[in-house]
Amino acid sequence: MSSAETTKPQSFFEKNHLLLRRLHSLTGIVPIGVFLIAHLVTNSSILWGKVGMRQAGHDMTMVQGGVTYFQKEVQWINEQVPHLLLIEIILWTALAYHSILGFYYARTGRTNVTSYAYQSNWRYTLQRISGYIGILFIIYHIGTLRWGWTFLVPGGATWSHEFAASTLALALRGGEDFTAAGVAVSLFYLICVSLLVFHFANGLWTAAITWGLTISQSAQKRWGYVCAGLGAGLMLAAWSAVVGFATLSPAQARDFEKKYHEKYGGPAAVEKLGKPATGPSMNPSTSAVRESVPVQGQ
Amino acid sequence: MSSTTPTAPSVAPKPGTRTIRIRVKRCEGPGKPERWEEFTLQVSAGDGTNVIAALQRIAAKPVTVEGKNTIPVAWDSGCLEEVCGACTMVVNGKVRQSCSALMDTIAPNEGDVVTLEPMSKFPVIRDLVVDRSRVFHNLKRVKAWVPVDGTYDLGAGPKESPETQETRYVLSTCMSCGCCLEACPQFTKQENPETWDSAFLGAHAISQARLFNMHGTGKQLEKERLEALAGPGGVDDCGNAQNCVKVCPKRIPLTESIGAMGRAVTIHAVKKLFTLR
Ligand code: SF4
Ligand code: SF4
Ligand code: FES
Repeated sequence: MSSAETTKPQSFFEKNHLLLRRLHSLTGIVPIGVFLIAHLVTNSSILWGKVGMRQAGHDMTMVQGGVTYFQKEVQWINEQVPHLLLIEIILWTALAYHSILGFYYARTGRTNVTSYAYQSNWRYTLQRISGYIGILFIIYHIGTLRWGWTFLVPGGATWSHEFAASTLALALRGGEDFTAAGVAVSLFYLICVSLLVFHFANGLWTAAITWGLTISQSAQKRWGYVCAGLGAGLMLAAWSAVVGFATLSPAQARDFEKKYHEKYGGPAAVEKLGKPATGPSMNPSTSAVRESVPVQGQ
Repeated sequence: MSSTTPTAPSVAPKPGTRTIRIRVKRCEGPGKPERWEEFTLQVSAGDGTNVIAALQRIAAKPVTVEGKNTIPVAWDSGCLEEVCGACTMVVNGKVRQSCSALMDTIAPNEGDVVTLEPMSKFPVIRDLVVDRSRVFHNLKRVKAWVPVDGTYDLGAGPKESPETQETRYVLSTCMSCGCCLEACPQFTKQENPETWDSAFLGAHAISQARLFNMHGTGKQLEKERLEALAGPGGVDDCGNAQNCVKVCPKRIPLTESIGAMGRAVTIHAVKKLFTLR
């Protein structure tokens, strides 16, 4: 170790310093970063799904294509991706590790952008802020959409993977139509996904220095362009997703989803369709919406 | 810089001179309270007054703007040509060598204010003088030297290729001034020297480890250096804010050194993993 005169016994963290640090770096890329890419590509399909459906031989409008393609994807993930539980456990473990150690590591520094307002220093600071806010957002995002913390959703919508787009739109808008709280939630999403995309792209850039892949300043710059490009692409996907779902009419989406289930859903899905929703389009009160929307597990 | 300024000082300024103000953060000793004092100074364009010269002139007549007599400001300096690092302080909010901070550059106009503060990451001894021991302590942590001490003549060292020479030369110009540490968000003040060994080494030590790992004889300590860099406070504690490289007066490519040592540590760790012991 160091030339310290006093050799104190090392703690677990000190002994495995490098391993823990590098695992922190690695988990940010695999699996978390990889998942982020897949998640944003899937969710942005609300805007480009029409193209996907056309390839499958269906000529749909943009909205119908988006809703249908997204429904198809979500159902595929939920019903056909093998070892989904294992994947989730790995993701959660990685996320917990990355955020807890990240928090601890972030506490070892003290930002000084006010004195040294360099662009790289801003990114250093933003990397930490986006980490803090990002993990809170992820907990909110999953808590409300997967764990049923509907008390945190304006309008109280429950996300259902059989009605993926329409229930998501409900959760973002705060009801059939935008409510003030819904606007706030949508903006919160927009800001937080942007921060997370930044966190990933910038983290990818710094990881290359940490691991020693980029050494020379020109190499760091070149890799910076790659990361910025990837970040810009993901940012576009993230904004498409949030804007796409927030501007989606839940009632219209529900219709398309029903059509989808009637056509491709198989007996199980059709059964889950339940009573046809009659109310919502005429009566956009949120409680009616909630009842009319079949909920996962019902 | 004109003779028509309304805020004319009591003595009419000579043409071409301007009055500037020097604000100094003062502290009488470790643990003593800090206070600000302000002085005025007349300088003229091209007279070459730097911060040290300004402090000397203030010391000759230590009277604040309020007209209060005060103790001369303490500062440190050595070479006066930006090669020793002793005079490093925070000038106008940014760390730099005060001997090369010319008033014509940092306070070019009538009434400009120059603030002088000691570096914030090291213990203040008095006023602008700090104790930079930790800078050198961290060099010891990475064994930033060539091991040649012994009881017999080791003979001539290995030849250096012009290529390594070229890379090493700029690294060797480090003067341990501490600018890179002062500006680094990951290098934080450690009140207790007991924590020095686990706190971040800083860019200068990482760069010096690289310098000596590239030296034919210095290489002998390569593994020990890499172990130190892989340990607590090592190269992984860098947060890549890259302030260090921007403030280094010697323009040492510190971020390249960080990348290079990151790579060396990666390779070292992988080798260790696959070496049975
Ligand atoms: S690397 Fe540069 S800033 Fe850091 S101590 Fe050496 S000369 Fe000073
Ligand atoms: S790149 Fe690393 S060493 Fe340099 S200022 Fe940033 S955190 Fe400090
Ligand atoms: S006095 Fe030596 S660097 Fe300023």
